[in-house]
Amino acid sequence: MFFFTYLRRELRRRIRQTVVTALGLAVGVGLVVTVIAVTTGVGDAQAAVLRSLYGIGTDVTVTTEPPPAPKPNSPEADGGFFTPGAAEQHLDLLGLPPGLGPLDAASVARIGRQQGVRAVAGGLSLIDTNVTVPAADALPPGKPPKLPTTFAVEGVDVGHTGLGPYASGELTKGRNLTKADASAAVAVVDSGYAKANELTVGGKVTVAGTEFEVVGIVRQPQGGGAAEVYLPLARAQAMAKFQNLPDLTGKVNKIYVAADDAAAVPALRDRIEALLPSATVTSADSLAGAVSGSLASAADLAGRLGRWLAVAGLVAAFAVTALLTMASVARRVREFGTLKALGWRGRRIVGQVVGESAVVGVLGAALGIAVGFGGAALVTALAPPVSATVAQNPGSTPAESVSINGSGMHHGVVDGATHTISVQLTAPVTLTAVALAVGLAIAGGLAAGTLGGWRAARLRPTTALGRVD
Amino acid sequence: MYILKGVTRTHRKGPTALRDVDLDIAGGEWLVVRGHTGGGKTTLLNILGGLDRPTAGTVTLDGADLTTMPEDALTRVRAKTVGFVFQTFNLIPTLTAAENVEAGLVPLGLATVERRRRTAEALADVGLTERSGHLPTELSGGQQQRVGIARALAKRPKVLLADEPTGNLDEDTRDEIIGLLESLWRVYDLTLVLVTHDPAVADRAPRVADMTRGQLTIRG
Repeated sequence: MFFFTYLRRELRRRIRQTVVTALGLAVGVGLVVTVIAVTTGVGDAQAAVLRSLYGIGTDVTVTTEPPPAPKPNSPEADGGFFTPGAAEQHLDLLGLPPGLGPLDAASVARIGRQQGVRAVAGGLSLIDTNVTVPAADALPPGKPPKLPTTFAVEGVDVGHTGLGPYASGELTKGRNLTKADASAAVAVVDSGYAKANELTVGGKVTVAGTEFEVVGIVRQPQGGGAAEVYLPLARAQAMAKFQNLPDLTGKVNKIYVAADDAAAVPALRDRIEALLPSATVTSADSLAGAVSGSLASAADLAGRLGRWLAVAGLVAAFAVTALLTMASVARRVREFGTLKALGWRGRRIVGQVVGESAVVGVLGAALGIAVGFGGAALVTALAPPVSATVAQNPGSTPAESVSINGSGMHHGVVDGATHTISVQLTAPVTLTAVALAVGLAIAGGLAAGTLGGWRAARLRPTTALGRVD
Repeated sequence: MYILKGVTRTHRKGPTALRDVDLDIAGGEWLVVRGHTGGGKTTLLNILGGLDRPTAGTVTLDGADLTTMPEDALTRVRAKTVGFVFQTFNLIPTLTAAENVEAGLVPLGLATVERRRRTAEALADVGLTERSGHLPTELSGGQQQRVGIARALAKRPKVLLADEPTGNLDEDTRDEIIGLLESLWRVYDLTLVLVTHDPAVADRAPRVADMTRGQLTIRG
């Protein structure tokens, strides 16, 4: 066809301009692909965090505020176990994390009877704290005692291991917890914790002073899971007893709910809120909003700056393409005038210019995809790990410690009141992003071509023929 | 074939290009319009070819009024009935000689095979079969003008309008091109309107008109 012969020869003649125009489009399109990839990556990271906190398949979690703290100097506030004595004391305590209160295990069954519930399981998130209290006379003046070490323990409903954070872990060694383990002294540990503490399957892990046999090691998808040690729920409930710690027999502090389908989640959330008015009912959406830390900053950056950067890049690329096309049309005015004198219709001339621009657009799309993949690879290679922090009770403000020192009040989040997960940010280029890039580049080319062609077609033949090259 | 009555063309800027021109051009006639640069020769040719419209008067081509004809119809006239030959050849630089000739046939909507056949025939008529695959930059001025003539003739027009076709050529080539145009005029029974300021070219035509400051005077 003559159309293609003409098109091919024109593009070949203006190869430098063709490449420059395509590169201009490619930069804009590549920026869009990169931003989409980063946004997707941030979304994936958020999803990974949520999976890690919620567990795969969990749509709604139910938590509650802890009971009010006892008044200072009241009998309830007198824990006593931090008082230095005559000899050094080693304490291994298992208690509720700050900000998270106990729920009756019966609530699990009540929620399970709600319409739209596919599965429900209770979980008990606990913090094991190892404290060494030195002897009173061994404490050097002005030197603080050794800081306590903590790790997270999750009591797992062994009848429903497919829900909650335990579900998102991948078993790397040993075996999973089973129904038969309901009251057994067995534990599954997180791979990171196992490595740090040289734990292997068949070894022993100590929780609240009691030894548990490690039967399995799990690896969470990214950044570690919600807990370092997973115990059968009943064992965890029984273990959390020490002096004035609340008796957690028959208690859970997280209820994981799977809905029949994603569309039913909001309605299910409303029903559970009505059922348990004092509880905090969180879905994945609301939990995403409660996440803070560098992941939230990255999400904010990708959402705001990234979007505007992509739009600005795209507008600039389109403008460059349009200007170069117009400049090309201006140089070819006499040629178009000749074609008109030969009897070419205006729309055929527009079609010719648009065709040339469309090819430039396709070239821009191909280069843009390459630029996008390059940009995404660069982000993946250079992006530091990001962290996500969420309160143990996602609906509440994390518990704060307050101290008074020389400079005034100091606020800090109580250890264990929040859960922080580190994830590696990646920037995956999706098929949708590629399709969008192709569409945008071709649309840009077509728009520029239509503008240029329309201008060429509007020229009066006598004016065009009279133009001196 | 052409009947012009009281044709005037004024521009918003500059002098009046044509003043009250009356002219009859019979079918198969060869008319030379001569005059100085800026005298209105090209404006007259553009109006005859439907590239421009007069501001007053009428122009009919085989009974059809070009002055009131819609733009689409004028485009069809240019595509089928009128062939243009330009002083500066106006070949498309990226296309070969054959492709340039083919460009003139595109508006006719012919099948590719027919287009190629007519192209080969037109190039043979102007003696350029051997150079059909060459780009304009690889051709001499005379050869480029031959391609321009082949492009105008390939569509088999009734009218050939040539605007200073030898203006950019040396004397030998000029004679060669005028000889070619004359021969084609005879063979194809064309109506040939040729604009020139060269007396040597004007002397070859049976009918000559002088254009001075937009006014046309017929000689002989």
